[in-house]
Amino acid sequence: MSDFGTPGSSAATADWLDRVLADDARDHAGDYIPDDGFTARVMTALPAPIVAPAWRKPAVTALWGIAAVGLAFALPGAAVDVAREAFKLFSARPFALSEIAAVLAVAGLGTWSTAYYAWRRS
Amino acid sequence: MSAPQVTDAQLIARCVVGDDRHAFAELVKRNQSAVRACLRKLTTGDAALADDLAQETFVLAWRNLKSFRQDAKFSTWLYRIATNCWLMHARKRKEELLGDRDDAIADEDNDDMPHLNESTGDHARSSSLKLDLERAMRVLSEPERAAIVQCYHNDLSHEEAAYVLGIPVGTVKTHVLRAKQKLKLAMAAWDPQEGTAIQ
Repeated sequence: MSDFGTPGSSAATADWLDRVLADDARDHAGDYIPDDGFTARVMTALPAPIVAPAWRKPAVTALWGIAAVGLAFALPGAAVDVAREAFKLFSARPFALSEIAAVLAVAGLGTWSTAYYAWRRS
Repeated sequence: MSAPQVTDAQLIARCVVGDDRHAFAELVKRNQSAVRACLRKLTTGDAALADDLAQETFVLAWRNLKSFRQDAKFSTWLYRIATNCWLMHARKRKEELLGDRDDAIADEDNDDMPHLNESTGDHARSSSLKLDLERAMRVLSEPERAAIVQCYHNDLSHEEAAYVLGIPVGTVKTHVLRAKQKLKLAMAAWDPQEGTAIQ
């Protein structure tokens, strides 16, 4: 037993039962129980990993595509309106080339890191 | 013996973050001997039952690895799960165990194991002492036996034993004290003051 709170540690030397228990523990401390396939048995007993079915990714992509097409048909003028307003916004204020490059870099970085994260998780 | 290159904490992180089963297999390999030995002591030598409970222990550890806060050593946390598994098993089979214990004690009283006063040499005396200790351990209640195993066999402090057993430190001390009283009674023949084997 470790030094904290050893039952009767000071008197333990005089306590024959303490000596017997300590000797027994010491005898067994060096006994290594060989694995003998125990680890393999444990690993087979673990619950099966949750693996996403192979069709999940194409199915999700297809659903997003369908949703986008559906939205485009449902709101036919929306895309044109958004583009027109964006053009007005950008044309009203001249942007420096460095600003455009910075925006593109941030957008690209965001897209790629999101894509990387999604693929890594899957 | 060189220190392991990858620490337990790193292996645990791999299991938790990456669902890494190879890392968990390494953790099992590192701790299987200690957990199985502890359970063999708790089951008083029933190796098959101890191995079943050890397997259950590691499966539970895998399932609950995310809840391991590393506020104790991984081995201590495993002892905690192992002890709970054993206690659950003992509770399930309590009545059967009680019946078996009575039978076992009656059988043991009648069998012809080497007796303490026989002059069979140091080795035989030591073996006889171990056998008597194992038998005496069966007399203890489950919490008492668990306390003795954690404090002596696993060499844990009272605080660590309290963590493993999920009880207050004072209760651990009480269990140890009562267990030792019972062991002394059961092994009275070995008491030097009684004038027998240990000199």
